[in-house]
Amino acid sequence: MKRIRVSKNRLAVTILAGIVLVLFFATIAGLIYYRDMIRRLGEVQEEAHAEYSRLYAYIADDPDSQLSNRIHKEISEYAKENNCYVEMTGLNLSTTYSKADRINIAISSKVDGIILEGDNSEETIELIKKATDAGIPVVTVLSDCEGSVRKSFIGLNQYTLGTEYGNALTEISTTNYPLSVLILKNGSSDDFIIQAIQKPLTGRFVSISSKEVDTSSQFTSEENIMKTLDELNKMPDVIICLNDKITESAIQCIVEKNLVGKTRILGYYDSETIRKAIEKGSVYASFTIDTKTLAMQSVNALNELNETGFTSDYSTVQVIKITRLNLADYSSEEDKNEG
Amino acid sequence: MRANFFANMKISRKLVAVFLATSVIAMGVNVFIYLNLNQALEKINSVFASNISLNELSDSLNKTHQGLTGFLETKGTDDFELFYASSLDIKNMSRKLNSNVTDNNIKLSERDIRNMLDTYLSLADQAVQAKRGRNIDEYTAKYNECTRIKDYLNTYIYSVNNDQFKTNSETYTALVNSLRYTEVMSVLIFAVASVMNVLLIIILTSTITRPLTRLSAKADEISQGSPENVAPLAVYSEDEVGKVTRAFNEMLASIKDYIARIRTQLITESEMKEKNLLMETHLKDAQLKYLQSQINPHFLFNTLNAGAQLAMMEGADRTVEYIRNMADFFRYNVKKSSETVKLSEEIELVDSYMYILNVRYAGEILFEKNIDESLLNVMVPSMIIQPLVENSIKYGIKDLEPGEGKVTLSVYREGNMCCIRVSDNGIGTDEEIIEKIMNHEKKPSETRGVGITNVMSRLDLYYNNKEVFEMKSRKNEGTHVTIKIPLEDTNV
Repeated sequence: MKRIRVSKNRLAVTILAGIVLVLFFATIAGLIYYRDMIRRLGEVQEEAHAEYSRLYAYIADDPDSQLSNRIHKEISEYAKENNCYVEMTGLNLSTTYSKADRINIAISSKVDGIILEGDNSEETIELIKKATDAGIPVVTVLSDCEGSVRKSFIGLNQYTLGTEYGNALTEISTTNYPLSVLILKNGSSDDFIIQAIQKPLTGRFVSISSKEVDTSSQFTSEENIMKTLDELNKMPDVIICLNDKITESAIQCIVEKNLVGKTRILGYYDSETIRKAIEKGSVYASFTIDTKTLAMQSVNALNELNETGFTSDYSTVQVIKITRLNLADYSSEEDKNEG
Repeated sequence: MRANFFANMKISRKLVAVFLATSVIAMGVNVFIYLNLNQALEKINSVFASNISLNELSDSLNKTHQGLTGFLETKGTDDFELFYASSLDIKNMSRKLNSNVTDNNIKLSERDIRNMLDTYLSLADQAVQAKRGRNIDEYTAKYNECTRIKDYLNTYIYSVNNDQFKTNSETYTALVNSLRYTEVMSVLIFAVASVMNVLLIIILTSTITRPLTRLSAKADEISQGSPENVAPLAVYSEDEVGKVTRAFNEMLASIKDYIARIRTQLITESEMKEKNLLMETHLKDAQLKYLQSQINPHFLFNTLNAGAQLAMMEGADRTVEYIRNMADFFRYNVKKSSETVKLSEEIELVDSYMYILNVRYAGEILFEKNIDESLLNVMVPSMIIQPLVENSIKYGIKDLEPGEGKVTLSVYREGNMCCIRVSDNGIGTDEEIIEKIMNHEKKPSETRGVGITNVMSRLDLYYNNKEVFEMKSRKNEGTHVTIKIPLEDTNV
């Protein structure tokens, strides 16, 4: 009887000791987990980020422009593959800076290279010189800056683009004759295109007029186009738009003035709005460039400059014409992303 | 090994060890949690540190520009000092900013700020140099450039500050939320550790108290009686309880021993009492018998002395001898009846007795003595030989023809024994009677037993039931009674 009691005691003690052991390990494990938990608290702050060897600044005419954004995206992607990073200078700041200011920022923040949407203004030429003096190579994209010390230009041949517009006009003029055409341009740099447009139209009865649209501030382009159209006695048969913002604004104006089917647009770029308009027929054709090639060439040009000090002065990028017929072949950037 | 070490510790040390161990565990857990919680709080506090340092940077920049403006305007020393000190601050602070190209917007902006600060400071230095060289155009241009960059910088700092504040706020919220989890976690850990401590205390104190409980149970068992049947406790430890248990076991053993000794002592004592009582009874019986048979020996002895003197005066020598012997005989009886005596004295008594009888029976009884003289000083109980001689004469040879009866007294050594033999050549004794006498069944009043039984009983008591008395007989060949006295039992 007594022996049984003793062994029961021993059993109880053994069980208790077992529980104590389990609790001991539970405490240790808990403390380790706790320590880990506290350590992980700090890690929340540190976001994972990759580092690159060079920083290039991309300075667009209009940072809100869809084309510029797409080009920036393409350039960024390609640059990352080549251990570079491209910053759209002036983006995500509390103040909206002018192009000149953005170039100044890029120079004073000592980037390794500037990709600039060029223009022919004196100020830009000055700033390119300033950058080059500071040892920062500048390449221009989309439009050149003639007379500047930029190292390279990568973009459309303005003449080729103008000719493409002219060719499109000849297609339209066969069915609608005589033809009145309104060219909505962005600045004086587009004058060269206008000359090229007129070339294929030689011998046809086409009356061409051009108006400059102010796209510098946020809401001006649509108002400008509306005002221009209001001032006209007769609505043009064709509106040629030389940039994406103007194209989208013109599409909206046509719809509002109930001119769909009467006035056609030859547009620029292939945003979703423009593609829909092509599908509906309000835009006859839209011209865009191969942004991927542009991005590749601009990054390569800067890398070559940094590594060897030389690069080719001029690179052209192919013009793509999008109409109702080949719309499906050129799926938009958004579709690609979704795909 | 460690368990034994613990078991052999003193109870006070055990208790100290138990409470120390549990306290250390509790304290350790507390300190651990406290330190980690502190670390977490520090992390939370440092969340907005980046905002604070950016604000400081902005302040220093503005001061530097203020100093620069003042210096360019008036060339004042105070302004220059302000410019110089603030630009040093800026240099120090900008070192903490990120300098690498990264895809993290805030980090990248930090790099831009760092480089722009660098550009600003070098332009400002150039402006200062130009001011010293009084080149108005140059320092104006540089100053304008500085102002522009300062504006960019303020915009960048403001934007980064905003972004960081947003991120930091998110981090802060996340940290505060996690802190709640850690609080719950710490409470859990503490609860588990406390339960563990309680169990530890239960186990360790039970190892201390269990032997005590067993000891008290044992003590209960003993107090309920019959400690002889209680088994000793096993000793598991060498602490105080172990020692008490050991002492308890020893006590239990000595109690058992004591009880056993008292029991035997009681038995011996009662035996002794019985023996004494019997001895007294027999002695009194014998004395009574003498008083009965020889009424007032003193008177008789005095009378006999008077008779002897008379006979002497009359010249009757034999009468004198006779009466003297009788007087000796009675004197002996009066004097020695309750003592141990020398064997020689006993023999003298027998001599006197025989002389008296031979006078009485006119020399009809032959009495022969074979005495080993070395044994004469052996101490024996008194009155043991005379009754035997009396018996031999009374029942052995009384029916023989006068002159034929013979009584022999032999005293000799047999090994370690002193043998006293009384033999006769009488009719002998029936075996039945011998048996009865030897078994103490014979009553004193019957034949041949008056003295023998008394002698036998006294010898039995005196020599502690040792076989000292022997009686042999054959029909018509006499009776031999032998008393064997062990020599070591006598005071020689």
